[in-house]
Amino acid sequence: MKILNQIENFFGTLSKRLTKHPIVPFLIFGFVIASIGFLPHTGFIRWGTMGIYAYIVIFTVVAMGLNLLLGFSGLISLGTAGFVGAGALGLGVFMNMGIPFEIAALLVLIIAGSIGALIGLFSLKVEGIYLAIATLFVGEILRQIYTQVEIFGGQAIRIGTVRFLGFINLSMINQTQRSFLFLIITILMVLMMIIMHNIVKSKTGRALMAISRSQHAAQAMGISLLKYRLTAFILATLFATFGGIMYGLYFQNVPTTAWTLDLSLFVIAMVVVGGLKSIYGTFLGVFIIHGVPNLWLKNVFGDISYIFSGILIILVIIFYPYGFIYIWYDLKKIYFKYKARWSKKKVTDHE
Amino acid sequence: MTDFLRLLFNSLETGSVYALAALGIVLIFRTSRTTNFAQGLIGTFNAYIAAFLMLRFGFGIWTVALAALVTAFITGIVIDTLIIRPAAKVSPISKQIITLGIIMVLIGILPWFFGVDSMTLPRFIPTEYSLTIFGANLRYNTIFVIVLSTLLMGAMFWFIQFTKWGLATRVTASDETTSKLMGVPTKTVTMVSWATAAMLGTLAALFVAPRVSVYANMLLTVQISAFFAGTLGGFSTFFGPVVGAFIISFARNFTQFYISDIWGNVLVYTSILVFLYFKPYGIFGKKPTKKV
Repeated sequence: MKILNQIENFFGTLSKRLTKHPIVPFLIFGFVIASIGFLPHTGFIRWGTMGIYAYIVIFTVVAMGLNLLLGFSGLISLGTAGFVGAGALGLGVFMNMGIPFEIAALLVLIIAGSIGALIGLFSLKVEGIYLAIATLFVGEILRQIYTQVEIFGGQAIRIGTVRFLGFINLSMINQTQRSFLFLIITILMVLMMIIMHNIVKSKTGRALMAISRSQHAAQAMGISLLKYRLTAFILATLFATFGGIMYGLYFQNVPTTAWTLDLSLFVIAMVVVGGLKSIYGTFLGVFIIHGVPNLWLKNVFGDISYIFSGILIILVIIFYPYGFIYIWYDLKKIYFKYKARWSKKKVTDHE
Repeated sequence: MTDFLRLLFNSLETGSVYALAALGIVLIFRTSRTTNFAQGLIGTFNAYIAAFLMLRFGFGIWTVALAALVTAFITGIVIDTLIIRPAAKVSPISKQIITLGIIMVLIGILPWFFGVDSMTLPRFIPTEYSLTIFGANLRYNTIFVIVLSTLLMGAMFWFIQFTKWGLATRVTASDETTSKLMGVPTKTVTMVSWATAAMLGTLAALFVAPRVSVYANMLLTVQISAFFAGTLGGFSTFFGPVVGAFIISFARNFTQFYISDIWGNVLVYTSILVFLYFKPYGIFGKKPTKKV
């Protein structure tokens, strides 16, 4: 009897702990997204639609990196697309050399991370629009290199079948394997979300937040600008490059011309529209910027869908300047308002 | 000598175009506190209008250019009143994304209004009128572009420096809240800045159009170069970006010709980056003073 009670007590606290544990929502979220990967088999959605979701998953990771930079440290980067390209194209180049996937990914991350550190050094000197355009310089240099160096294969680089973990062959062409690829990138996204959550809640995250509020006050409190700005830039480039690697892994055919200023602006738009400083907001932003136009608007409006996506961006920013995720609070407010009204009515009815 | 002169004329022409675009960007940056990524596309949109009018009604280049400038003025005012003004309280980064929204709206409108075929615009002065200096061919049109841009920029500097409205622009640029309190009509100033910037962008588009055809991304290089020019010269003055524009145009043309066709751009960008590391606010820029 006593033992049973103890077990119950133990599981009670465990289940309580589980529901309170911060990573559980991420896992549930990942599970929901991952289930999309199996819908095409049942015929609910088309295979192409899954590609759009894959793109959303990949760019959630990229945008989270930028969110770390833009939301938490207030620095802006216009070179994001260049680093996503670095991830995807670098992976392609190394894998075509015959290097296994995991080592190739690691090499790409190291190279891109060191470029990110260089830009971080730059950010100590320059601010605001000057920093933005300095990163634009880097983006443009990278773009020139991608399109003009022969190693990147001119128009596009083909990665082909990826040997994942050394024994699982995954190809984009095979439908089952494609679902599996989708599952892998979803797992990676959840992993990055958890990492992001931990960074944000750690000392680093608090320091970055302090710097974004007031640089001088933060400095006076003993926060090293050099250290944390470098960290922010390296993390942002690593996230972007990681997104690029996911792109290479899933799509397995990487164009060299896609990594332009426009893409960088779209990534910023994802962060700003979705919600600064919010992980789910980032996903929401990517969904609004890439998902809504490609999933619905294009079918309804055809060629002029661009107009509506543009209007959507403008409206969201005017009405929700801190991100669309804050609509949640408005909805809550409305819900409670009506709930109060409804319960009051009930009381009066009763009388 | 021939090559050198040819490059010189060419650089002066592209430099003027970059300078016009850069001036528009700086004007908006100073008065609206935002980086206008749509600058190029607003110009392109009005160049489309010019090309469309020419194709449909057979007007001459001068007439359609004038019409395009008028529509540019209207475009600027419409964008400011409908989009920028309601978003006045939005943070600068969000404002930049609003200009991205403007880009998308305009890109959506282009094929809807004007069809998907690319169009052409002729030069202001036909190509056959040209003179030869030391074997280098100098078109009268090139001279026209350089002279007109220089005159325009000169007039703008005079306007900003010596007139009452110019003073209003400068004070709005330096501190909008205080100038509003002092009775400066900042709303009108911002509106006129957007209109002027749109006109400058359109002029740049009209000058570029004969060399490429009229298509949605025709001003992409010009716009990016204009951003670079602004950074190189410094956003805190109005003439800095103009100087920067000419430096970038010269450096690019000469390195591409004398050093490497492919690596010229990379070389120029890298050296500017290195320069910016030592002088972060551009050649003429000053570090903005901040109260703690």
